Amino acid sequence: QVYTINLESRYILIQGVPALGVMKELVEQFALYGAIEEYHALDEYPAEQFTEVYLIKFKKLQCARVAKKKMDERSFFGSLLHVCYAPEFETVQETREKLQDRRKYIAKATNQRDCFMLKKVEGPKKTASNNSEHDCPWSTSGSSIASNWDPSCFTSSPGVSHNTAYPSGNQNQSLLTPPHYDNSCAEISGYFGQNTSLTPSVHPGVCTPPTSLMQHRKVPACNGIDRFMPRTTHLQERKRKREEGNKFSLIGTSEDNTEVVIGPQLPEIPKVDMDDESLNTSATLIRNKLKEVADSVSTSVEKPESSSAKPVVKQRRRI
Amino acid sequence: MELGRLEYLQALVTEFQVTDSTGKKRRCSLALSVSSTSSHPRPFSFSLAEAKEQVLANLANFAYDPSNYEYLRQLQVLDLFLDMLTEDNETLVEFAMGGLCNLCLDKTNKEYILEANGVEPIINCLSSSNEETVVSAVTTLMFLTTPRSRVLTTALPVVECMLRFSLSANTRLSNLASIFLQDYCSPPQVEEARNLSKHTAVGIPLPKD
Repeated sequence: QVYTINLESRYILIQGVPALGVMKELVEQFALYGAIEEYHALDEYPAEQFTEVYLIKFKKLQCARVAKKKMDERSFFGSLLHVCYAPEFETVQETREKLQDRRKYIAKATNQRDCFMLKKVEGPKKTASNNSEHDCPWSTSGSSIASNWDPSCFTSSPGVSHNTAYPSGNQNQSLLTPPHYDNSCAEISGYFGQNTSLTPSVHPGVCTPPTSLMQHRKVPACNGIDRFMPRTTHLQERKRKREEGNKFSLIGTSEDNTEVVIGPQLPEIPKVDMDDESLNTSATLIRNKLKEVADSVSTSVEKPESSSAKPVVKQRRRI
Repeated sequence: MELGRLEYLQALVTEFQVTDSTGKKRRCSLALSVSSTSSHPRPFSFSLAEAKEQVLANLANFAYDPSNYEYLRQLQVLDLFLDMLTEDNETLVEFAMGGLCNLCLDKTNKEYILEANGVEPIINCLSSSNEETVVSAVTTLMFLTTPRSRVLTTALPVVECMLRFSLSANTRLSNLASIFLQDYCSPPQVEEARNLSKHTAVGIPLPKD
């Protein structure tokens, strides 16, 4: 359940492949995610009846990561695939290289964190861009910047300019005209000041728009508008949540406030939007878990383990 | 930074006080804050362990992403991980060790862990019966090795341990141990450990896989 560099590998194991002589199709399917270096069936590996187990070695760890994520629990010729990493097949040298790559990655990410953040954010936020474009009065056609910005970039040195890394950098500068500033100013100044005590709720406050900085920070003003507008949606959400009758809320009363904070609201995610895929997954996971826990607590007086408990014995599914 | 994320992580780490069966107040540094409307009946404490595991797993996974490091530091999650290493619950130890493994490559985190005397509990994790814990511990020791810290991370007992691991049938473990010996220890060190183990009892059990 916890992913570490030791768990991940260029090698992935695929179980549940129907024994229909579909190796070629299987490899082709996985090759969509990246170059494959080796592949073969593992005849000695325990397998359910009528299924086979395959080992695929990708050239790059990143490809293996994506392939595993996408193909795990996918149906393939009528059978459900189970894909997991297989680091036990690595040679010493391969493990060594894996660790080295991780080192390099961290070194790069820690020094040039901002650039990394940018690149990371642009991917998942594409879906949100359409949505926020409607909300944000400034978004011109083709501008995908507004929603793509991840304000967490701000925390590192404010002097860093991200212009080069951003695709539509030029467009934004024309958007930063004063009139619409005021609403979102509070948030922006909060970001810039790296003020952690800033309350999350949007409040149109008095502020002096730091225009010079804004040119580097294209989006936040847009975020302010985004945050400003969907307030009714949040109220509705809160109402719905109350109606659902959740026993526990993750953050107590403040959970409802987290909605206001950053980034555009993704329409498909009903609850708290963390502006990040992994966080949302975690949030949902916790929420579901809590719900389960709450349900099990309410239905039985005493239970050694909640109904959703994993068996204590290490029967954890390989990931 | 995005306040939402900070708040979220903060919520995960909120402290609360639990009264255990003997009536003593036991402070858990990891919790979920529960809605004040619930009455905290006894049964809740059974699922608390699971909730803790869940939250710790999430934090450990956050630790994989460098963009979270500053927030995690602010929330003292590093201390949390180190604290959890001495818990009885094997799962908590496993997750905490994984979290440390994930974030210890960052220079600031590394220094912090070393300053906080984190090497010792990590070395203790080498004798865990949990495979993941051991594997994470080996890697973490590697990552934490600096010119200054190597006297700790490559101490004789550690090298000895790695020698045994390198003979393990568990490929992951033996690979990592081999790398440790080859890349992080000097030949004299390895030699010394080898000589030592010749004189000690044979058949020291390796951690169960």
